[in-house]
Amino acid sequence: MTLALQPARRRHRAFSVPLLLFIGSAALYLCAALWTQSLNQLSAEGIVGLLQRTVALGTVALGQTLVILCASIDLSVGSMISVGAVLASFIMRGAPAMMVPAVLVVLLVAAGVGAINGLVIAKLKVSPLIATLGSGLILQGVLSSGFNNFAGSVPPAFQAVAYGAIGPLPWSVLGLGLLALGVSWLLRSTRFGAHLYAVGGNAAGARLAGIRTDRVIVQAHTLCSLFAGLTGLYLASRLRSGAPWVGRDGVYDLESIAVVVIGGTMLAGGRGGVWGTIAGVLLFAVIDASFNMLGVPAFPKQVIRGAIVIAAVAVYSLRNKGHVA
Amino acid sequence: MTSVLSPALEMIGISKSFPGVRALEDVSFECRPGEVHAICGENGAGKSTLMKILGGIYRPDGGEIRIKGQPASFAHPVEARRAGIGIIHQELSLLPDRSVAENIVLGAEPTRRGVLDRTAMRAGAREILARLQSSIEVDARAGDLSLAEQQMVEIAKALASKPSILVMDEPTAALDDSEASRLLDLVRRLRRDSVAVVYVSHRMPEIAAISDRVTVLKDGRKVLTDRTEAMPTGRLVRCMVGRDLEEFFPPRGAADGGVLLQVNEGGNATISDINLTVRRGEVVGVAGLEGAGKSALARAIFGDRPFTRGTMQLNGQPFAPRSSRDGIRAGVGFLPDDRKREGLALGQSLRDNAALTLRAFARALALPSAGAMGNLTLDQRLRALDVRAARFDDPIRLLSGGNQQKVIIARWLARDPQLLIFAEPTRGIDVAAKAAIYAIIRDLANRGRGILMISSDLPEVVGVSDRVVVMHEGRIVGECPSGASEEDVMALAVGHGGSVAEPASACGS
Repeated sequence: MTLALQPARRRHRAFSVPLLLFIGSAALYLCAALWTQSLNQLSAEGIVGLLQRTVALGTVALGQTLVILCASIDLSVGSMISVGAVLASFIMRGAPAMMVPAVLVVLLVAAGVGAINGLVIAKLKVSPLIATLGSGLILQGVLSSGFNNFAGSVPPAFQAVAYGAIGPLPWSVLGLGLLALGVSWLLRSTRFGAHLYAVGGNAAGARLAGIRTDRVIVQAHTLCSLFAGLTGLYLASRLRSGAPWVGRDGVYDLESIAVVVIGGTMLAGGRGGVWGTIAGVLLFAVIDASFNMLGVPAFPKQVIRGAIVIAAVAVYSLRNKGHVA
Repeated sequence: MTSVLSPALEMIGISKSFPGVRALEDVSFECRPGEVHAICGENGAGKSTLMKILGGIYRPDGGEIRIKGQPASFAHPVEARRAGIGIIHQELSLLPDRSVAENIVLGAEPTRRGVLDRTAMRAGAREILARLQSSIEVDARAGDLSLAEQQMVEIAKALASKPSILVMDEPTAALDDSEASRLLDLVRRLRRDSVAVVYVSHRMPEIAAISDRVTVLKDGRKVLTDRTEAMPTGRLVRCMVGRDLEEFFPPRGAADGGVLLQVNEGGNATISDINLTVRRGEVVGVAGLEGAGKSALARAIFGDRPFTRGTMQLNGQPFAPRSSRDGIRAGVGFLPDDRKREGLALGQSLRDNAALTLRAFARALALPSAGAMGNLTLDQRLRALDVRAARFDDPIRLLSGGNQQKVIIARWLARDPQLLIFAEPTRGIDVAAKAAIYAIIRDLANRGRGILMISSDLPEVVGVSDRVVVMHEGRIVGECPSGASEEDVMALAVGHGGSVAEPASACGS
């Protein structure tokens, strides 16, 4: 006897979080520009300027998305960015010949820091919050003991990373777009991506399914730190030199977590994606730009950002209520 | 196949200790291709430990595993999987936010030139589900599925790696009877395909129906292995518990108390037209398939997900709880079906767990161990229910399911509720502890409380209840008096017992 009794199932057609955030950001930007009559902000130049502001935070946040998806977190990205920026400009010292070695060293150091973060979390079972808080403090400490101001400088050829463009589109914006596409592909179309969601969604279950969960965590953290290293390189190019406070001043650690969460990636792991994060970064940039146009001081801006983070998480939790298995 | 079948799997002299516990001692058994070998024993007998060793989750302290005659050792579950061992674990381990297909191929995703092949993924998942005769959609989100469907996906997941040795650890725990019988059909088909099936179960009828041989474990040692024909249920139970189970279901009482709970035309988003009476001294069973609304009914009465239509009376007073706190205040207690997730604070002690509801209603500034929440009173209460634990301040996760359930009962008794709602009171609990829980339920009724018992376990609901109301698609479709047969209840549960529109039609003929 076979009984085909399937209880009627409610279909939740989830609205697309990234799309909604994109539309919201665009609307806010448009309103602010029209309200203040700053029509130049709506020109191609103005919009490119806006996009350029997303590059640094966007790059870190892509990495942060990866670790948060596997239920980890990285608080050391801010310090890693400073290390990357300082190391790059210190090694280059204005010499174009040192560009390639400097970039390689920064990426190598970043990958090493990420791998160590991952190993401490996966093998020593240290909570990721503590492990990366600690490694961030260590990095900052080492950096501060060697440098207390701008160190060295980057050659003009390297400044092209931040200031160069093809047509109206800056290299950096194009680069962020390509990185985002790459990470999105990684998540959607590779085993690594599938395993990342699995480890974040149910670590024990992933292990039982034969996934080497430790490896996945180490890989995610390595990528995350690499992205922080890239951000450091970008900032060195943009500021023409690296200083040990660039990461801290940008609050990249906490802001990258904030935009990931706004973008609909669950802090507990297992759900989310790249485009939500990118939309979150854009929203932050638009809030900055709009408040500048409106001539509002920086203080209320932080209040709005904070409120948005809380509101976003509240909306996601309420939406999930009663439909979590 | 070749002459006498050589074993596909041998576990020889396996021993395993945990700090303070000797979990397994010198356990051996073997399973041939095309054989179903049942492993049974009480909870804590070592079944799960043995299976975890086979699955590469634990490493044995001593002994040897042989696969097709070759010695094997597994340092990680992935190695066991590569050796052809598929395991259906007792606890669900699905990713709620991923699709059914993604869950089924997890850990062995098909790729083409390094890129995930989603078409192959979905086709493969669909094929496995078709073999299981399941109509679950491969694109559905796993978290949207019912518990039983999730269990099906879990089974599909284990079959995805085409194992030559399949371990099923209590696979029917979350299934209702029709789904369980479909699963047993599948096991028969696997046997025909020469898969060696190791079947871990509590359910005696299943073991008798499906297995070729039985190995009984008790306290980490093997009692015996024998052909299933030579093991009638009585002998099997005797081997497992070491004594006869004279009285499995306690005698029924004389329910002549007044009406305690009355529900009139109750309904909400999931259930409707609920008319129900529970008297003092009575155990009312609620039966139905998975998804029929049994659990929604329990939660509506308790106030967790309240009725939005209709009225209720408790003790003659109007009763309209808007939250579980309201329900508790009015004298209702609820023991949830998912003990681990909703019933227990797993890391806290027995005492803390037993004091939970008392503390929830204590004065804001009361000490956590004031008055009835003191250790002395708590311990008394735990002992009265025969909770067995080394120390009452051990974390409760160390206890067996039966003892955990007793602690939850103790927690409610501290509030002295008039109506107690048990949801799946013995899910995942072994035979001996089941009898103890039934005795407690009957004793509570005999002391003048009303009991509502939600259960998917037909023998249980028929054996314990004074009356069984049967639900189907969110409505009560009928009622069976005590002594009704399981077939009567089943007929109603699948919607064959009279008109669905008429609630509470009498059962059978």
